[in-house]
Amino acid sequence: MRSWVLLSSALCCASAALSQSAIPLPSQTAQGDVSVTIYNDNLALVQDVRQLAIPAGRSHQEFRDVSAQIRPETVSLAAPDLGVVEQNFDFDLLSPSAMMEKAVGETVTLVRTNPANGAEVRERALVLAANEGVVVRIGDRIEVLRDDGLPVRVIFDKVPENLRARPTLSVTVQSDRGGTRPVRLTYLTPGLAWKADYVALFDETAGKMDVQGWITLTNNSGTAYTRAYTLLVAGRVAQAQSRYDRYAPPPPPPPPMREAGTQTAPRPRLADFYLYPLKERTTIADKQTKQVSFLDVSGTPAAKAYEYRVGWLATADQPQSADTILRFSTSRDQGLGDALPAGIVRVYMRDARGNAQFIGEHSIGHTPMGSRLGLKTGEAFDVKVRPVVEERTRLGDSRWRSRMRYTLSNATPRSVVVDLTQSGLWGDSRITDESQKSERLSADEALWHVTVPANGEAAVTATFDTRY
Amino acid sequence: MRPIASLLLLMAASQAAGQTSITSPRPDSVGVTVYRSPGSSDANEWNLDWLEGFALISERRTVAIPEGDSEIRFEGVAGGIIPESAIVSGLPDGVVEKNQDADLLSPGSLLGRYLGRRVQLQRTSKATGKVTQQEAIIRSGPDGAVVLQTKEGFEALRCTGINETLIYPEVPASLSDKPTLSVRTHSDRPASAVVTLSYLATGFDWRANYVATLRPDGRHVDLFAWVTLANGDPTSFRNASTNAVAGRLNTEDMRRRNPARATPLRLRCWPQSTTTSGLHTRNIGGFPDQSIAESLNRVAAPPPPMPERGGDDIVVTGVRMKAEQEELGDLKLYRIPEPVTVAARSQKQVAMIEQANVPVDLLYRSKMSGGDLYSTVLVVKAVNRRDLGLGLPLPAGGFALYEEWRGRALLVGEGSTGDKAVGEKVEVELSAPTNVNVELKTLERRKEIARLALTVANALPRPVVYEAELGSTEQRLSGFTGGKVVREDGKWIWRVSVPANSTRELRYETRQD
Repeated sequence: MRSWVLLSSALCCASAALSQSAIPLPSQTAQGDVSVTIYNDNLALVQDVRQLAIPAGRSHQEFRDVSAQIRPETVSLAAPDLGVVEQNFDFDLLSPSAMMEKAVGETVTLVRTNPANGAEVRERALVLAANEGVVVRIGDRIEVLRDDGLPVRVIFDKVPENLRARPTLSVTVQSDRGGTRPVRLTYLTPGLAWKADYVALFDETAGKMDVQGWITLTNNSGTAYTRAYTLLVAGRVAQAQSRYDRYAPPPPPPPPMREAGTQTAPRPRLADFYLYPLKERTTIADKQTKQVSFLDVSGTPAAKAYEYRVGWLATADQPQSADTILRFSTSRDQGLGDALPAGIVRVYMRDARGNAQFIGEHSIGHTPMGSRLGLKTGEAFDVKVRPVVEERTRLGDSRWRSRMRYTLSNATPRSVVVDLTQSGLWGDSRITDESQKSERLSADEALWHVTVPANGEAAVTATFDTRY
Repeated sequence: MRPIASLLLLMAASQAAGQTSITSPRPDSVGVTVYRSPGSSDANEWNLDWLEGFALISERRTVAIPEGDSEIRFEGVAGGIIPESAIVSGLPDGVVEKNQDADLLSPGSLLGRYLGRRVQLQRTSKATGKVTQQEAIIRSGPDGAVVLQTKEGFEALRCTGINETLIYPEVPASLSDKPTLSVRTHSDRPASAVVTLSYLATGFDWRANYVATLRPDGRHVDLFAWVTLANGDPTSFRNASTNAVAGRLNTEDMRRRNPARATPLRLRCWPQSTTTSGLHTRNIGGFPDQSIAESLNRVAAPPPPMPERGGDDIVVTGVRMKAEQEELGDLKLYRIPEPVTVAARSQKQVAMIEQANVPVDLLYRSKMSGGDLYSTVLVVKAVNRRDLGLGLPLPAGGFALYEEWRGRALLVGEGSTGDKAVGEKVEVELSAPTNVNVELKTLERRKEIARLALTVANALPRPVVYEAELGSTEQRLSGFTGGKVVREDGKWIWRVSVPANSTRELRYETRQD
């Protein structure tokens, strides 16, 4: 068998091992100069430049320490004066049973230990079968391995070539010349992903906020990447979808962005993507979560606001808390001055003793520089709204008059403004009467800015003429 | 200084690739702020393995930072840590990167890290007790048992019937027994720094529980509230300054995403059936086989003690200490005034509110819609104002009403309340059996109009207030006789005082459109 001859390079063969006093140790990682480009959507491009000694003519090269989730169809190999004949990705992992099954028809050494005096007896045996139990031929005897329950060591001369400790890419190449040269291996792999995490420390009295942005990358690809030059790409990469998720609905637009910005962030870009290169080379271990800082802005203006949205014909038995909204901008002046990759913003405030306490979080989508953001951090304990349908009269076949009363209460010692939105005003709805002038945001929504006095109440009434 | 001394003793520094690794084994001081789960229902018993709230842990640690590049490993962080939420401050030159390795030290991970490395294979002879060691290289990972390469060739660990084991020279630096967060930093000179490490962790929760005892006059209660904290994490926090936050926070996915795990070691061998595999033999003199050992266990083990409320796992700290309330943005923070120990997998209760002689109104209420009647409940009403005996934020929680009877407290009913701000009306509906019976009868039906009779019968020896919610004002009701019906908050309400041992009746018409 030709393949047995090729064994020597990676797993040292038995005869060599027997003759040497020490066992040669494989190097810790077979990776060379690694670059990893990680996209948001659980996808990474790995480029690995290894120095390999390749003989002239046809030879077999092994690439250990590639991603365990490598997409073999995306592998490309480039080196001077080299062509690829074929490539295989071996998943068959080395284990005792796999080793025994592959040893059928081969000869192994058995070492029997005498249970009374510990004396060892060595014999050569031919493995006949490894089905349920192991049947061997020793000389002219046929035996079942360890049938008598006594200790028997089985020593294999070699490990079959395509059994690996870890998934390995093996490539047959044709080289025009012999010699060591850089071989560039590139492939796509899932299992590597990144997102942004933001820490915002909000100072309500000063109306300012300190923001730190962290890039969080996670490696579940089954392989560590040693001293990798790492580049993160923000933006969605169009991936060919498999048939079953083609009909998945598009994700809803991220609600926190109130106004999309039109400024260009001072970051390296490629096509429509922003690029975030890590300053230093880093080792990305398997099952590791790694965070690197990319944004640190202090004293950016930020303000707190209250919002409450009423659905059509909603009556609440109990007053409902208004949403607490943190408003800020990503613009160059009066803002964070950067584009924000998608992630979670965690908001903190200082308590009476000056310790930062968590007050809520909200996720954001990819946000261009110059955008206005309004993040819902939570619901206000002390600011509440109670919508009530006070009266509903049928005016005609498809015409209704509905009178709404919104009672707003404020238990804080400061006066607050609540942005009260009535939604669900479909079609040709009109507001015929209202206690305070509203702003029609769209055909569907009307907005009142309601001032609620400190430790007090305010009320808005409105009468709607609607089709439903 | 004890912290410094323990620091010098415990901080094992090891050189690896030009980078010093320092381990900070535990915090000097810690703060725990517990946030409740957004959607928890107070009716359910807590499951310490499945707490849906979370906590903000803030730790202060003293770290000796060497010159140059170093890695600082923070051991003893909560098992439910959300690593991307970690904030590290106080390092002289900031953080180069933060890492969390989800791999814990276990037989499997130890073997995995030694793949391709040299270990000692030790064998002990059963006959002579002689111990031999030889060098071996691990050739396969923990997923499919162990293949070893020795000078003689390739062998499988423990497929032989020989007593053999692997001896590793040391624990790899990146494996810890506990979940560990690490940061890489750089310093121009050696320095001692006080580092603050804050992070969110899942597996915590808290609850408010109100206990109201009705005074003999039937118009006042003594109100008492507990805050009950639960820590389902395997980590204990000693002498922690402890807070609970009330109010509703917006949270994204607060589930554990990359929990620390111990890689199991699976030792599988080649097929090992023999010519006698089908026979059941009893081992004599050796270990009894698994199933026998298990059945022995089952017989011998005493039954587990009955879980008891107020037992060892619930620590009642006593009324001498009361949580102090302060404002935190639009949330309410309850601070336990002294440091307490939040032990692993336990509950702790501290008094939160103690208000004597709060005026309340008790009334009976039933709701109906069209001709359907829903069950009658007892309602405790109060107004959360200082001049009316309250006037303090009331976080959402369970509510139990007790009444004294000959010196004993009897439970009248249980219910729950939402977050109530100062100035708000408070209403708790108690699911309690009542002696006030309500009946709704359809007397007559003509086309779309139904004529109904609502009867309320009071079997108690005292007068009661009864309130019926006849429906929303969108429903067209008319022809009321026997009582006065008002429109309130978009509902038709009939409110009546029913004298002791008597009945009242309301008749009205509804129109179905």
